[in-house]
Amino acid sequence: MREQVKQALDQSTTRFISATTRLLPGLVALIVALLISVLFAWILAMVVRRLLVSIRFDERLIGWGFPSSAEWSPIKRPSVLVSRCVAALVIMTGFLIGVSAFDAELTSLLVRSVFAYVPNILGAMLVLLVGSIIARFLGRSVLIGAVNMNFQYGRLLSVGVKWLVIVLAVAMALEQLRIGSGIVELAFGILFGGIVLALALAVALNSKELVTKSLDRDAAKTSTESIEDPLRHL
Amino acid sequence: MEGDVVVQQHALGKIEDLDAADLVVGILADLDQETAATVYEALRTLQGELRIAILSTNVGSVQADPDWVSSRKGPLLSVVPWPETGPDASNAPMQSISAAYQAILTAGEMLGARAGCIIASKFEVVRPHWICQLVQPVLETGFDLAIPQYPRRKFEGLLNSSIISPLIRCLYGKRIQNPLGPDLGFSRALFEVLGGSDRNAPRIHPLASLTPVAICGQLRVCQVHIGPRILPSTDWTNISSLLVQALGPVFLAMERNAACWQKTRGSIPVSGFGEPSAAPQESETIDVNRLVNSFQLGIRDLQEIWGSVLPPTTLLELRKLARSSSEQFQMPDDLWARIVYDFALAHRLRTINREHLLRSLTPLYLGWAAGYAREMETANEGEVERRLERLSNAYEASKPYLVSRWRWPDRFSP
Repeated sequence: MREQVKQALDQSTTRFISATTRLLPGLVALIVALLISVLFAWILAMVVRRLLVSIRFDERLIGWGFPSSAEWSPIKRPSVLVSRCVAALVIMTGFLIGVSAFDAELTSLLVRSVFAYVPNILGAMLVLLVGSIIARFLGRSVLIGAVNMNFQYGRLLSVGVKWLVIVLAVAMALEQLRIGSGIVELAFGILFGGIVLALALAVALNSKELVTKSLDRDAAKTSTESIEDPLRHL
Repeated sequence: MEGDVVVQQHALGKIEDLDAADLVVGILADLDQETAATVYEALRTLQGELRIAILSTNVGSVQADPDWVSSRKGPLLSVVPWPETGPDASNAPMQSISAAYQAILTAGEMLGARAGCIIASKFEVVRPHWICQLVQPVLETGFDLAIPQYPRRKFEGLLNSSIISPLIRCLYGKRIQNPLGPDLGFSRALFEVLGGSDRNAPRIHPLASLTPVAICGQLRVCQVHIGPRILPSTDWTNISSLLVQALGPVFLAMERNAACWQKTRGSIPVSGFGEPSAAPQESETIDVNRLVNSFQLGIRDLQEIWGSVLPPTTLLELRKLARSSSEQFQMPDDLWARIVYDFALAHRLRTINREHLLRSLTPLYLGWAAGYAREMETANEGEVERRLERLSNAYEASKPYLVSRWRWPDRFSP
């Protein structure tokens, strides 16, 4: 009896040791891959940060409508964030390459599926970035136009337009990522409809003033000389 | 040929038939037959055996009496029916006039003319000699650019009075009332200076560039007193569109000629011709409250945009100004001058989209107009002149601020 237990323990220990031994090269390869990727990520992050600072990336973002640099903390400035994202991407890639070294079918499948998903992630990020830029541009256009037309609810209109475009971009990004497509579509429809309704109300609140102005302008065209606005600008 | 792009085909044929001319006159204003005949009569009084090519958009007046121009003695007149070029004048008047200028300059170059004249305004009372007065300094006295000086009405041409004229005066050191014309007399030397700048390049705006190019090219500039004009009754979509169309080319010209104006200090008057005439002042009451409300709405909603263009001290002054009542509302001249300079610099640096930038200037411009309208409500012409002279002096006094910010934008970044 004792001999059998001892034999069973010896066999399981031997299996464990042999399995661990088989894993060791892969583990070493993973650690080496991680170390190399960390080093490469650090170098690349430094290069990217210097490149972004040289092209005044932070200032250009302000021109595209993103918050001014005063609202960012020094360690979270856009150029630093971008460089850290690049570094994280490189480290993640190194990790996946290291995992594939285990030479197990499951890990190979995992690596292939992750790499196959990367284009979706990149596509979603691009959609979000472009959507954000367009949203801010349109929001600013609407705000300036509304203020120049003396709309009291110009800011509401501007925010509404901006969020309309952002919601659209987020929905497109989630569809690109193939996440909860049915729920996202429904939620998007409800949210989009709500924003459009809010915008319509904002326009309706100002339309009375606009129609009055339009009617006055038409009436002034038929009179000999406009006495409503004697100012001539050019 | 480069000019073919802007000269319509049937007009091109007629110009090639003419072969050459000494003087090219472009009539862009919609003149009736009687006025057109008066203009032709006036041109015949010019001295010398001149070949004058008249480019007229008023086809009706030409066809009414086709033999008229060839039946008299004196300078030889040839009339070329000239189609309107450019976009619809009522929606984009600056672009329309600019396209017409470009076409006339091109036609003048094709004909080898030694002088040119453009008549774009309708006048309240047509005096034939006014037309000749735009041409005579160029033909007879050797000037290269003759700019009109209209009798000033206090509530007309505010954009020119508040920004364009004092800005050009401060930058280039010449006191010119209407740097953008639109009526002008110019010499062949100006063709050549403009031609050297590649006139058809998209960034060159003929209307906004004529005066700066003439001054920076060391050409001789004069002003000519001509009568009150009827301001065009175009249907402006809104003031912000006007600001974009008028100020955009002026700021671009400012950027292009930076090396010239940074060396200039002070200003001097230019030579004048003709007798000044008075214009009856309006007695209308301006709704200052509406203008102040527009300004206050801008302060409330556009702080974020102005914050990327204007320094904090300027924003603080504007916020204090917004708390003033309509009766006491007055934007200081030095503040207004610095605002214009900050916007010009932001236009150059592309801090934000250029069209957004210029449109966001609208509430500030209306704020200045409110203070001016309140102050000038009962003013006579002399008081108006003194008031605008103070404004121009404020621009000149603030020029060191502009030069510093222009040279070191990062140092003064808001």
